[in-house]
Order: sequence, then C-alpha cells, then structure tokens
Amino acid sequence: MAFKQEFQAVILAAGKGSRMHEITAGKPKCLLPIGNKPLVWYPIHKLQHIGFTDVILIIFENQKVEIQNALDKLGLLIKIEYVTVKNEDQGTADSLRSIHDKIHSDVLILSCDFVSDVNLGGILNLFRMHNASLCALLLNTPTNQVAVPGPKIKYKPERDLIGLDAQTNRLVFLASASDFESSVSLPKALIRKHTSITMHSNLIDSHVYVLKHWIIQYLQQESSISTIKGELLPHIIKKQLLKPTKVDYNVSTLNTSDKNDIFAFAKESDLDLRIRNASGFNDHYGDLKSSYHDDIIRCFAYIAEPEVFGIRVNNLPAYYNINLQIIDKWKKLSNEKELVRIDSSADIQSSQVDDKCIVWDSCKLSEKTSFKNSVLGSTCEVQKFSRIFNSVVMNNVTIEEKVALENCIVCNGAVIKSGSTIKNCIIGSQHLVPEESVHTNEILTVADRLMEL
Amino acid sequence: MSKLNKDVSQKDVVQAVVVAEYFGNEFAPITNDTPLALLPLLNVPLIEYTLEFLSLGGIEETFLFCCSNVDTIKQHIKKSIEKSAGWSLTMQVRVIVSESCRSFGDCLRDLDAKGLIRSDFVLLEPGIVGNIKLLPILKKHVDICKADKGAAMTLVLQEAGVGQKGRCLYEELLLVATTNYRVLLHQKLGVSKKRKIEVPLEMIMDNSSVNIYHNLKDTHLAICSASVLPLFSDNFDFQTKDDFVRGLLMNEEILGSTIYWHRISGSEYAAAVTNWRMYQSISRDILHRWLYPLVPDMGISSQHRNYVHLQNNIYRSKDVHLTQNSSLIEDVIIGSGTSVADKTNVSRSIIGESVKIGKNVVIEDSYVFSNTVIKDHCDIKHSVIGHDCVIEPQCKITQACILGDGVKLHKKTVIENELIQSQKPKDELLTNKLNEKAYKLKIQNCSTEISDSEEDGLLSRKLLRLHIHEEDVPSDDESFKSTDSEDELSYTTSPVPDDTNLFLNEVIDSLARGFEDKLQCDNLILEINSSRYAYNVTVKEVNFNVVKAILTLPFQLFVGQAYLQSLRLLLVYFSPILTNYLRNVSAMGDCLQAIEEFASTNNELNECVAAVLNWFYDKDYLSEEVILDWFSSIDSNTRFYARVQPFTNWLQQAEEASSSGDE
Repeated sequence: MAFKQEFQAVILAAGKGSRMHEITAGKPKCLLPIGNKPLVWYPIHKLQHIGFTDVILIIFENQKVEIQNALDKLGLLIKIEYVTVKNEDQGTADSLRSIHDKIHSDVLILSCDFVSDVNLGGILNLFRMHNASLCALLLNTPTNQVAVPGPKIKYKPERDLIGLDAQTNRLVFLASASDFESSVSLPKALIRKHTSITMHSNLIDSHVYVLKHWIIQYLQQESSISTIKGELLPHIIKKQLLKPTKVDYNVSTLNTSDKNDIFAFAKESDLDLRIRNASGFNDHYGDLKSSYHDDIIRCFAYIAEPEVFGIRVNNLPAYYNINLQIIDKWKKLSNEKELVRIDSSADIQSSQVDDKCIVWDSCKLSEKTSFKNSVLGSTCEVQKFSRIFNSVVMNNVTIEEKVALENCIVCNGAVIKSGSTIKNCIIGSQHLVPEESVHTNEILTVADRLMEL
Repeated sequence: MSKLNKDVSQKDVVQAVVVAEYFGNEFAPITNDTPLALLPLLNVPLIEYTLEFLSLGGIEETFLFCCSNVDTIKQHIKKSIEKSAGWSLTMQVRVIVSESCRSFGDCLRDLDAKGLIRSDFVLLEPGIVGNIKLLPILKKHVDICKADKGAAMTLVLQEAGVGQKGRCLYEELLLVATTNYRVLLHQKLGVSKKRKIEVPLEMIMDNSSVNIYHNLKDTHLAICSASVLPLFSDNFDFQTKDDFVRGLLMNEEILGSTIYWHRISGSEYAAAVTNWRMYQSISRDILHRWLYPLVPDMGISSQHRNYVHLQNNIYRSKDVHLTQNSSLIEDVIIGSGTSVADKTNVSRSIIGESVKIGKNVVIEDSYVFSNTVIKDHCDIKHSVIGHDCVIEPQCKITQACILGDGVKLHKKTVIENELIQSQKPKDELLTNKLNEKAYKLKIQNCSTEISDSEEDGLLSRKLLRLHIHEEDVPSDDESFKSTDSEDELSYTTSPVPDDTNLFLNEVIDSLARGFEDKLQCDNLILEINSSRYAYNVTVKEVNFNVVKAILTLPFQLFVGQAYLQSLRLLLVYFSPILTNYLRNVSAMGDCLQAIEEFASTNNELNECVAAVLNWFYDKDYLSEEVILDWFSSIDSNTRFYARVQPFTNWLQQAEEASSSGDE
C-alpha cells in the first residue's frame, strides 16, 4: 500500500459470552443470530461502511473454521484477517498484545457484540482533533426493556463510573461501580486539575476504543495488564495526571535504560510540541495553564448523541431485545441496506408469517403454522399447527406439530416434540423437549453442558 | 392571624439579613477600635459596599444585625442616611441589636425569635461586597421551592479557577451537585493535606450524573427560604452557615430540607472579607473595577465623586498634594487631603484621607488608613497601617505587619510580620513593648533561637495574613500549590516517589525560576524551607539536595553550554543560599556527598570535579579537614578518586607548606 493507514481496525471476537452462557454453549458468541445476520456482521459492516478495507478479527482457534465459513457466506467486501488465540482465559489486552506485530498505526478497536447505528466518524474525529492517546465511545442507556425469557431474575446491569471533564470531555476517571463499597475516592490532584468533573453512572462503555500506536507498544512491556476495559484503560487514564520527569537527561543513562516508564512510549513529536506552543488554541479556561495542561497522555470520551441507538449484545436481555427490535432498527444499523427478511431458499407454506419475522435459509415452515415477530435460523423445520410468537429460533431447530412457543430463545439443534407449550423459556442447544411438556420461565438445557461452563 | 395579615399586606418587600458581626479576632488589632463593618475598604467603610450592593441588587428592606460597637454602627448608618447615601433612597435599613449573641447561628436564632422575617430572604455573612443582581436569583429560588418543597437555601457561588487570588485558601470548596443544581456534598477542604477526596458511592449511583466542582468560591451569600430560621432554632449546634449546610446535607432525610446552588460568572462579582488575604484580594479587585458600578470614581454610596481615575489604575482625590518627583506607579488609590513628598514611590497600595507621607518613602502593597503620618525614608511593604499612626523616619515595616489605630513607631524601628497595637495589652509581658504607643500583640519572631516548630508556625502565619506579591516571594502559596499538585500528581505512579525526591525536584524548580527571574536568594531560602516542611525532609537531606539541585541546574538552564562555566555562574549567584545551608561540618559532609553522588552518575561534573571542589574550598564553604576526611573514605579504584586526587594532593601540600611556614 502506498500510504500508511491512519487507523487499523481490530474486532475482538474471542469472547465466550459468559454473561449469557445459556445460549452460547457450543456456539461462538459472535455467530449468534441477530435478525438475519450473525452478531459479528454488525461491527464488520460498520467498518466496511466507513471505508475500512481491512480488519483484524481475533477469534478462538477452535472456532476459526466455523466463523470463517459463516462470514464467507455474507458477501462482505472488507478483507478479514483472522488471528486466533488458543488460551480461553486470555483477556482482551492479551489478545491485543498478541497481534502487536501486525499493528503499525493507531487502532480502532471494536467488540464483536457492538450493535449500533452510531457514526464512528465522530470518535475518530475527536481522536484526530485532540491528537488523543485514547478515545472511548460511550452510549446512553437504552430505555425500553422487555421481559426476558428464562427464570424471573431481576437483571442488574453492570454500571461504570465515568468521570469526564465538563469543559473538555477529557476522560479523567473510569472504574466499575462494583469496585467501590461505600465511597469513591478521588485524588485531590485530579479535582485541582479538572475543576469541574461530571461523574456519570449510567453511560455504557461501548468497548469501542481508538488507541494510539504507542499504547500497543506499551502494552508489550506491561505484561500484567490483561484486559482493556478493566486494566488498560484505567491505567492510561490515571497516567494522565503524571508529568514526564523533567530531569530526564541528567539521570545517568545506565539508570533509565532498564525501566521504561510510560513517557518513553508516549512522546510528543517535536513538531506537535511546537505547533501546540505556537497555537493560540486552549482546550479549557479557568486557570492559566496551557492547553491540555501540557499533558502528553490525553484520554477523551465521545458520548453518542441521545438519539443514537447502540447496545452491547453481551447478555440475555440485550440479545433478546435486539432481536425483537431488529426490523425497526435495521435501516439505520445497516446504513440503508435492504433487509432480506425471508431467504429465497426457505420453503414457506404458512400463510401467517407477519412482516416482523425473519426467516433464514433452507427453513421449512409447514402450512397452518403461525409466526409473529420471530427469527428463524437456517434449516429450521416447523411442522403443522405450531405457532411461534416473539421468539428467537436458531439454526437446525426442529419444532414438531402443535407446539406453542412464546417469548423463547431456542438454541442450535434443539428439538421440540409435538404438543408442547413453552413460554418465556430458554432452550439450550441440542436439547430435546419431550412431547406434551409445559414450561414457563425456565432454562431447559442439558444439565451437564451447563456444568462444564 | 395577625401575622397572616401582615403577610398579605407586605408581601412584596424583598428582605435581606446582614450579620454585621464577625465573631473572631482575625482582624485584630484593627478591629479593637473599629468594627469590621466600618473597616475602610478603599477608604469607604465596608458596610457601605454591602448596603449599596443590596440596594442595587433590588433589596427593599435590610436587617443589620449587630452585637458589639452598636452605637458606632448606628451612628454611621444615621450619618449615611443624612448624607442621603445611594442605598438610603431605595432601601430601608433596620439595625437589630442583640449583644448576647456569640455566633452567627445565635444571631439567626435571635432573629427567628423576633419574627421579623416573613418570606424568602437574602442572607449575608459579614463583610460582603458584590454587584450581583439578586432578584433573578431570588426568583430562581422561588421556582426551585415550587418544585421541591424542602428547598431551604440557594448558595451563591462564584466561578473562580484554581490559583485565582480571590479564592480564599481556607475555603477551597469542593461541591458535588446534581445537574439541576441540588447540592449533594459541600466540603471546605481548607489547607488540609489530605490527598484523597471521598465521595459517597450512592451519591453518584442515585443520579445518572453528578458534577464535581472545584472551580467555585463561596461568596458567603445565600438565598434562604423562611424555613431556614426555624431550622437554626431547632438545631442549636449550628454555629455558622457552613454548619448549617453540612448539617442539612448530612441529615437530609431527617430534616427534609435540601440545598441548591447558583453560579455567578462573567461580570458579576461577590466576595466576603473574611481575613486579611481576602481584604487584599478584594481591594485589588475593586481597584481593577470588577465591582463596577461600585468603583471609587463613581462614588460609593455617596453623591460626591471624590476620585478621578487615571492611567495605570490610579485613583486620585482632587485635593491631593503630590510633588513633582513623587510617583504613583500602579493600582493606587489616594484619599483627599493627603500629601506625598519628594521622591516617594507608591505602588499597589491604598492611602487613606489626610495622610502625610514624607520624602523618600517606599510604599508597596500596603494599606494606610486615614490621618496617619509617615515620615521620611520609611519603607512599608505588604502591611496594614491603622488610623492616626505616626511612623518616624527610617522605619521599615514589612511582611504582613498589621498596625492598629494610633500606633507610634520610633525612628529606625524595623518590624517584620508583627501585630502592633497602641494600647498596652492586659496580660502581656513588658518585653513586647516597643514604646508607649506600640505593643506587640503576639510573641513572634522575638526569640533569637528559633526552634523548628516555631519556625514552622511562623511560616504558616506568614502564609496566613497577607498575600505577598508575586515579584517578591513568588512561592508564598503558589509553591504550596505546586508542591501539592506535584506530589499528588505522581501519587498514581506505580512506584510512589519518596518525598525527598519530590523535594529535590521542588528545589530545582525554585532555583531555576529564581535564577531566571533573578529573585533574591533570601526569598529562595524561604521557599526551600517551606518546601522542606511540606515534604518533611531532614536538615541533612536539605543540604544534600540543595547542593545537588545547583549541580543539576546547568543542564536545565544552559543547555549545550560548557558545564563548568555555567555552574560557576550559578554558584556565584546562589552563594547566599550556600552560606545559609553549609554552616557546619556535617553540612559540609552533606555537600561533599552530593558532589560525589552527582559526579558518579554524571560525566560532565566528574571531569571538572576538582575545579568545583576548589571553588567550594576557596569560598570557605568546605574546610580542608572535611575534604581530606571525606577523600580518605572514597574507594580508590574509581575514576572519581583519580579526578579528586590532584586536588587533595595540592591541599595536603599547601597544608604542609603552611604548617612548616608557621614553624
């Protein structure tokens, strides 16, 4: 390539989906069906749409074939480079570390479960504008939540405490609310430097980050950091308060060489420094400090506009909700792409398939069946006199006669025998529901499968 | 029922309560004779600013709450009304006397008992000046009350960035509030050295977002609902407004009251004279016209325009006698009837009415009240001089001296950082007597041997009273700030850098700045000492680090130039500092250690170490014995040893020669 790319895109798809293990057992999380596409299609499409030609996709080694096959079918133009990780317990930062030799420029990192209609141009421009070290995309909490299949448990979202400088949108504090017991302690230096901080407790970290190249290199050295969100980000954000030691050149060279501190990586080029000094621009007012307080490490947050839709499909409610809403959101999510609601290879005899249903390839829907607001995965078979409302049915599911399915998630390869009535349930993969069974608010799955997770 | 009727009939009167009594002796000895309300601020009594501000702000009835010096204040108010002061035209002032009150809280409880307040009112702590439009804030408060029945108070806070002079160091405010201005946490950090600030988790979790502010200063002004007074009565432990705010926030559920805040910014200004530092910064702000329209040339609360506003912020009364050779430099206000003689310089100062200033006097950053006589060749800096004082020739008054009314100083008196009053204090020793008309108020600086703890107290006291001007002692509180921030900034590093290291950096910074700005070494010593206390390092470490810092500086100040040359320049410049620290044998040892350590890691110094040692020896900073003693302890295999050896050889020879010569 003639030009050095400004950004490289990385999608982290080596997640197990541990927050929704009920449905991810035996299936890569990134291939969970959302509407008529697998989950990972959404971030990839997003990248493709804003003009990326390459993307690095990090996946588990043993899922590579499956994922590759699935993605090849989707007809994406973007070139996907698959990088595999072996160790299941590896954190996101570890994944990033493992690909450091492939990274030559600043990186845009997305998670495979990011489904949103946000314009990524916003965060990239913010990054460019401030010559930031790190930018994070934050989303407003979606308001509408519907009942979730499975046992009735109060679903508690994980909440983050995100502190932003009210004037400059500098990201100055990031921690998980569960890390604190009764009080949050802030260094006095922080509030003296950022005299007006807005502390948000219900913004969602979208796990979309833009990182400067040096952070990847720095990660190389700091081998104790294993996750991006939990460790790397707070670490870098804290380092903003640090100033590089001024007396660098006085210290003997013997001493400095063994331990490189962060400022050995985070360097401001001489040109940048001169530009900053010569410029009249200042990012803040209220004290007489120069712009950015002379910080070289600068973290920023981009809060998506309130009308932007965006969720992370990493838990059951989110997964279920996005599937119910997908038809409404499709237009925006896919950037005006036409929605193939019913695959041409599907064999549909039923006359009652409402326009909120999505049917994948090679489905067989017999006559006298009824479907409302549901997703049916590929090669599903639904026999006569069955009805399926508000449900997500994944691939290779067989539903026999006279089955009533309402508000359910049915995983790959499940078989539901005739005459069953199932409401608000999750049916695990390969599970067999015997004839005439009646279930509400349950998780139906082969017990030992869950145990092994 | 009668009360109800009253309510209806006088519904629209906007009321304010001014507590004129300052419970404390912050302003002694000036306030021995003058109540705080009548303290001259740019030659106008403070209370005039407050009243004028209230009437301009739209207040129609003001209750002036006095506890002591009642007659003086009453007389003053009466006189002002007779002279038809600006405020007297639109506002009714009622003086309330209650001599039994011992605190701000008592005053409000007393007021509650008197039942004079009928609706929302503006509450002012003592000594407030301002130019805020109060009616919109009152309206906002009423709106808030409609939405939140429990709303008791709206605090009025002014935007002020870190480092602004108008921020009182004792009141560094931390405010946590919701986005709709409800106060959740209100903390005065003061000068506490705590590095962490605790914010209760639930405060953040219960609201989708909260704002944490540290860019506000308290104007000591608040809009109160009628429920405030009963709340004071119910909670007799509330002594001050801050107690009230704290109590309400802590027991929000029990008391069912909430507090809101209002931000003022831009051209609006309000502040309270709570100590001399605030007095100083407010005086300056008024001179700089932040309080417009309350500026001297517009006539504050009087119909007469006494002053003309000249270039460089000089306000001169019309009948001032200035000789041709005298000069008013900048930020000066000079009252009527004052005369200034030849070759006298006045800058950044306030001179009262009928003051006589002699020849060759220097007055900087000082406040001279009316009818005082300052004779020839006096030097007055950073000080306050009360009414009717007489300063005989060649006196030197510096570093935050406060002279009470009627003090007389004899010829050639030198005072530094003292409180002086004219009457004999009741229970003080005679040793504090300067003469019949000047008594030191507190023992400070008198003992010749200053132990560490006393010196510490002295320093903090210096920080306390007046803000010494930047050009003089740049560090004063700035250094505290920078030390603060610097050690806290590094707080988050993985290996916590020790205080000594930070101290070294601090010293390097101080010296570098000192050299660049050509500051006096005395001031730098002061700065280093204050850093020393801030970081709690031992004397040994101080000596060591000061020398090390000087050795480091050439790299910072003279990049790319010959090391020895630049070092020599610095050593000469900083020689007073060296003299101060390298006083005894052990200090010399520290000095040598610093040289040794620095040379071992640094080639430049290593190369010329003999020359450096020679310099130290020549100037008597290091004695022969100490050098030889130290030299014998060095590992003889190092290059450093080889470098030093010629010098010590020479020393030994010289010694032998001299001893043989003696024989």
